[in-house]
Amino acid sequence: MKRVLTGNQAIAQGFYEAGGLVAASYPGSPTVEIMETLKGYKGIYAEFSTNEKVALEVAIGGSLYGARSMASMKHVGVNIAADPLLTFTQTQINGGFVLVTGDDPGMASSQNEQDNRIIGKFANMGIFYPGSSQEAKDYMKIALDLSERFHTPMMLNITSRVCHSRGLVEIEERVEHKPGGFKRDQEKYCMLPPYTFKAQYFMKERIKKLEEYAYHAPFNILEEVEGSDTLIVTSGLMYYNLKELNLPISIYKLGMVYPISTKRMKELAEKYEKIVVIEEMMPFIENEIKLMGIDCTGKEYFSFTGEIHTEDIEEALYKMGIIENRRYSAVEAVETVSRPPMFCAGCPHRPVFDILKKLNVTVIGDIGCYSMAVLPAFKAAHVSLSMGATLGVTKGMNKAMRLNEDKKPIVSVIGDGTFFHSGLPGFVNLLHQLDEEDNMTFIVLDNRTTAMTGGQHNASSGRFNREDDMDIDIKEVLKTFGIENVKEVDQFKYRETREAIRAATKEKGISVIITTRPCSLKYKIKEPHYYVDPNVCIGCRTCVKLNCPPIRMAKYDGIEDLKSFIDPDKCVGCSVCAQTCPVGAIKRSE
Amino acid sequence: MIKNIMLAGVGGQGLVLATKIIAEVAFRAGYDVKTNDVIGLSQRGGRVWGSVRFGEKIHSPNIPPKEGDILLGLEPLESYRWSYLMKDGGYIILNNKEDYPTPVLLEQEKYPVEEIEALKDNYNVITINAVEEAKKAGNIKAANTIMLGVMAKYLDIDSKIWEEVLRENVPKKAIDANISAFYRGYNNQP
Repeated sequence: MKRVLTGNQAIAQGFYEAGGLVAASYPGSPTVEIMETLKGYKGIYAEFSTNEKVALEVAIGGSLYGARSMASMKHVGVNIAADPLLTFTQTQINGGFVLVTGDDPGMASSQNEQDNRIIGKFANMGIFYPGSSQEAKDYMKIALDLSERFHTPMMLNITSRVCHSRGLVEIEERVEHKPGGFKRDQEKYCMLPPYTFKAQYFMKERIKKLEEYAYHAPFNILEEVEGSDTLIVTSGLMYYNLKELNLPISIYKLGMVYPISTKRMKELAEKYEKIVVIEEMMPFIENEIKLMGIDCTGKEYFSFTGEIHTEDIEEALYKMGIIENRRYSAVEAVETVSRPPMFCAGCPHRPVFDILKKLNVTVIGDIGCYSMAVLPAFKAAHVSLSMGATLGVTKGMNKAMRLNEDKKPIVSVIGDGTFFHSGLPGFVNLLHQLDEEDNMTFIVLDNRTTAMTGGQHNASSGRFNREDDMDIDIKEVLKTFGIENVKEVDQFKYRETREAIRAATKEKGISVIITTRPCSLKYKIKEPHYYVDPNVCIGCRTCVKLNCPPIRMAKYDGIEDLKSFIDPDKCVGCSVCAQTCPVGAIKRSE
Repeated sequence: MIKNIMLAGVGGQGLVLATKIIAEVAFRAGYDVKTNDVIGLSQRGGRVWGSVRFGEKIHSPNIPPKEGDILLGLEPLESYRWSYLMKDGGYIILNNKEDYPTPVLLEQEKYPVEEIEALKDNYNVITINAVEEAKKAGNIKAANTIMLGVMAKYLDIDSKIWEEVLRENVPKKAIDANISAFYRGYNNQP
């Protein structure tokens, strides 16, 4: 039986069919849907953990017990999980272990474009690279098998395009895989010297065996065309984009991109005059082949950043002189008005960033929906790096300011998801060498969900959803740490919130403000809509500058100047615009 | 023969579900099928697009330039933005409800009304007031289904398959409104 599945759903299906038991993740685009799908299968323990490191460790625990286990995360999540990963990989894997990482060529929804094949090699893992939903499922199953056979953790590296693409997938029965249990063996599982010394040789030998296996492995496919003097080496979606061109050129398609069989490549190098490598992002396969002493061409003709499409491949092959005709001519994309994402109608972040913008203070941002405060409508966050970075960065900048006798305040914002993900150590560290002249304000935007990735639960969402079991009170946590000056505000009380933030920025020491309104999208908040009385409106655009989807300037019958207008279908009645209107022109409909 | 369908709209409009429904219909009609959609900022008013390709054998989910047969335009500006992927003379099924992006809301740029109007010079543009039609069908949220109904006429797939897939993919309470919306689009071609 076949079904239409996304790459993400297919990975979950593969884990299920292979008898997988323990799966953990931290939500991050493009891999979120994997764990959401796994939560729907019976017989699997699946969780969104507090961060990627914890998720990886949960999966490691399952594997040590002999259960087939997986962890999934976005590419940058692997950076968080790198510490356990790079030591766990030295152990002799018991239950099949697969780390799924979602890379994002073109950065559709990511802060960087790192190529995690580099991390896979660094961690001495075999790396599978699917290009379709069917392959995503197949490779998950093969990777679990090989993990047990070679006692190695495996990486399943999938790009955002393949995660979200749909295709036909053959559905098979689940084959149960009963775990063998944890057998105490310190040499295998306690990574301290001298056990680690041996582990280095074990890993070297393991990759060598996997490389030998790669020579004849069925997932590395050689498609030879009579008369072709060029061989294209490729993998993943690039293979399918290439196939669109239907060229009479031989292809070596790597299902597993690391390790690559040197023996196979040397044989092919003897046979073909020219080897071309097609891959997105870094020249990974190209460098592996060059390290074998084999000449090949790749990044000289292909972009190192962004996605590579069929027409890009055609153009490059044409420039190399490999093909003589082109089917696709370059077309210019339409240049028109941009459409940046925006805070939703009723978003609780809107008043906070409107206030910060008007206070004109330096704001150190973080990762979440509130990253959108960086966008032109607000420009109310001035640094945005990585999960939880705002705390350390704010402290460091504040210390530098003190040394420079710069007395300006500094404001840090962090969401509840990020607070639990990696904010806790940063908050603890604030108390170290606290100077009474320090002036730092921390705003915790507690909307009770991990909103940016689609509203997954986190450690504070239990207040609104009973099934989200945890309801940890951030205020109490901070007080327990010894941070005394913690206030809660309802940010839909605009003036009160503004005064609280203004006062905090003037106060020395650490001030924490927790905003308490939940995510309007996740919790489907809908109050009676507001409307503008055009006879009162002075057209000052204070409300328009809040950048709320329903609010714009419009023409009213019988009134010459443009006046503000609120689309009643879109307004959810948060009242923030009405509170900021200087003349009281915005009113509640009922 | 490969059919290339492009979908363009705004985050929150239900484009991902529309893409899924078209793919499922093509699959049940016996075709190989691949789709794309962009997720990440999809519910936050950003631009979103999807694509469905079906035929005997599909390699890549990406529609090559100037090979789009049909553009299902859930919003005019977004339809204009992606029109360059279409064949000359291709069909653009256009929901005429404008959704203003930030630069227009902030009066920094004009909504490209004339450029959208000029799409008619190169393509077969079928304009629909999908929101009004959906209201008439009994559910304002069924606007996309009206659009699917109009598009289905150009695809030569049995309407019973569409009906079956819609039943399985829309909320239970909204099944009747959606089936009615589908046939409203299918039978009353503008």
